[in-house]
Amino acid sequence: MTLEVLPPLARRRAQRLGLIWEERPGLLGWLTTVDHKRIGLLYFFTTLVFFGAGGIEALLIRTQLAGPNGTVLSPEAFNQAMTMHGVTMIFLFVIPMTVGAFGNYLLPLMLGARDLAFPRLNALSYWLFLGSGLFLYVGVLLGKAPDCGWFCYAPLNTKEYDPGLNADFYALGLIFNGLSTTAGALNFIVTIFKLRAPGMSFNRMPLFVFAMLAVSLSLIFALPPLTTNLVFLELQRNVGFHFFDVAHGGDALLWQHLFWLFGHPEVYIIILPAMGIATSIIPTFARRKMVAFPLVALAELLVAFIGFGVWGHHMFATGLPVGALIFFAAASMMVVIPSAIQIFAWLFTVNLGRPDFRAPLLFIGGFIALFVIGGLSGIMFAAIPFDQATTDTYFVVAHFHFIIFGAAVFPILGGMYYWFPKVTGRMYHERWAQLSFWVTFLGTLLTFFPMHVVGLLGMTRRVYTYHHGFGWDAYNLSETVGAFVLAAGLILIFANLLWSRFRGVPSGPDPFYGGTLEWATTSPPPPYNFPVIPTVSSPYPNWDRADREEDLRRLEQGVLALEHDHETLATTVRDGYADVVLHMPSESHWPIVVALSLTVVFVMLLTTHFVVAGIFVGLAGLVLGAWHVREPAAE
Amino acid sequence: MNAVPYTHRVAKPNGWWGMIVFVATEATLFGTLIGSYYDLRFKTPEWPPPGVPDPKVLLPLILLAVLVSTSVPVQLASSFARARRVGAARLALLLALALQCGYLALQIHLYVDDLHRFTPQGSAYGSIYFTLVGAHHAHVFVGILLEAWLLLRLLGGVTTYRGVGLQATAVYWHAVNVLAIAVTIVQLSPSL
Repeated sequence: MTLEVLPPLARRRAQRLGLIWEERPGLLGWLTTVDHKRIGLLYFFTTLVFFGAGGIEALLIRTQLAGPNGTVLSPEAFNQAMTMHGVTMIFLFVIPMTVGAFGNYLLPLMLGARDLAFPRLNALSYWLFLGSGLFLYVGVLLGKAPDCGWFCYAPLNTKEYDPGLNADFYALGLIFNGLSTTAGALNFIVTIFKLRAPGMSFNRMPLFVFAMLAVSLSLIFALPPLTTNLVFLELQRNVGFHFFDVAHGGDALLWQHLFWLFGHPEVYIIILPAMGIATSIIPTFARRKMVAFPLVALAELLVAFIGFGVWGHHMFATGLPVGALIFFAAASMMVVIPSAIQIFAWLFTVNLGRPDFRAPLLFIGGFIALFVIGGLSGIMFAAIPFDQATTDTYFVVAHFHFIIFGAAVFPILGGMYYWFPKVTGRMYHERWAQLSFWVTFLGTLLTFFPMHVVGLLGMTRRVYTYHHGFGWDAYNLSETVGAFVLAAGLILIFANLLWSRFRGVPSGPDPFYGGTLEWATTSPPPPYNFPVIPTVSSPYPNWDRADREEDLRRLEQGVLALEHDHETLATTVRDGYADVVLHMPSESHWPIVVALSLTVVFVMLLTTHFVVAGIFVGLAGLVLGAWHVREPAAE
Repeated sequence: MNAVPYTHRVAKPNGWWGMIVFVATEATLFGTLIGSYYDLRFKTPEWPPPGVPDPKVLLPLILLAVLVSTSVPVQLASSFARARRVGAARLALLLALALQCGYLALQIHLYVDDLHRFTPQGSAYGSIYFTLVGAHHAHVFVGILLEAWLLLRLLGGVTTYRGVGLQATAVYWHAVNVLAIAVTIVQLSPSL
């Protein structure tokens, strides 16, 4: 629906909407924006920078381990690089990329809304995310980065064993990061419940949105155990409390329980958006609706739910009671069921459709292959004796990289190609995109597959070097070569996107004939997303031609165009009946001010200036009080 | 299609849903604190450890009853605002605020009193005791701030925004009161 082809009355309405929804231009506009698309782009570019940093850390690790007795990194530097690689990739790349960038940009578009439910809160989550990322990387610049592994086990994280600021950067940085993620998840849940287009009852919601709902619910219930744990750690490190030291009645295992109570749902938080992206790409390129749609939707929610009952399988080697071990092993086996439902649904959809293997679908193919390999090694860990034998070896590293890189990042990369035309209005270069897939795929196998073997040969995780003569040398060299091939593949992808941004062929609104609503608007979408709120009668509303033509007619008549004010439509939670017209808040400088004050709070907590920290908490509170001095309806 | 005024709408507003999700995450936070309490308790032979007095029972229970009763005026304030009875809403809110401030003042007094008798640095019992109870008091404090802020805004009359704010604050208080019951029972449990 480009403006030029619209009949005059409809065009005038769209132009008026443009004036209402347009934000301030220039840098100030980006600092005060509440537009979910611009915030999504801010997330995207910020996470890409962190992805680069995490990638450099990975290359440093691999270069150090390329041969025996490496001297590239000192043991201290290796610990920091290893820890920051994990922390960065999980907290500063995958989650903010999938939830922050993809979720932010796509969710309102797929739902047929004009923004998220709480636009200013959304801006706040971005600025908090940026603050937490910079906070952690200040630690890197000071040479005091976290060095205790991404799970930072007690008692090694206590002052006696980690006397510097390293673990404090870790604990405070992740509490800070958790605030941002919680705010984002809350916003998504309310948006999914309340802002769906009229007619979009729960059973007509796109599968990507189901995945985002599952992720957001997981985050809401998974982050509190982590926050509690990190608060305990800071209280123990800086105020002298006792939670993890046995001498004063503490319990070192408490840390592991709380950490994995967060940490396992976290694994599914990482993988679920990838599944959501797969269920968006597959129907488009297989040219048919997803097979077993309701089962896939339920499987997505079930994965998130089961994720809360399996944390003990990370602790099989810690001496838990046998009953607990068996419970966790059985629960872990259960994850196979929803995962298999989804895998078979993807394969059958491709099989029953007329698949067109362009770059996005290739990445999904790679994703399925790598997910199956990583899933098979995952089932092995559910067998308690096998897990106890391979705990803390490279076999574990191989498993979770197949899952986190293979299964979580491949769909992200495929999704970047898939939605690139939507975001930029231009096509990526198909040939080079396909080449980039094969380079990345081969690099991934070359890097992570030999890790299975060295793991079984006894190489332990987190060692900064090893001696010659264990039979590990050739495998390690292959992993290092693979890491550089992988990096080359990634560079090819980003070079392709960068080139296409300026030189790509114009794509039009819907180059792939996608089924969900984001393809029903122009590329890039206007600030108001849709000139008229679309109505929905199936899970693939963009394939319902009659409905989309009806949108045009309604735009001409002005029904649900909401062109008088900054407005969007709220619907009822279950059935998606039109409920009420909402006045949406406009751009604001308050989110960045709150984020700045909270950044000061965390710096002060780090340097144990508790009074100053308290003052800035008060300041942030005051600003929150002024959040809507002028209420949205009065604007 | 015209906007339905919020006094007539059927579905719960976004602000209400936002608060539901928020209290869900806060309840999980208290769940993990209470879980940690029992994890530490079952790994310690004597709870509370030697030299630390058993927790008081009567006074915290009376205070708990007072706090839980404030759910009524908070809910009333929300209903009055919905019926556009600004004066009544303000009065109900003021009543709740007075009771809650009295509650918090007494609780802080008890907290400081406890600190004189044993410290969080002395044992894991002290650490989890003061963390759990302190987290609860912080939530009461935030609730009081929310109400004070709403009371201030209600001086200018009721709007949709303020009405939804009151509705959400009522949800917050009901949740804090339910959590207060859980926290108080855990806090007293060694004396029972």
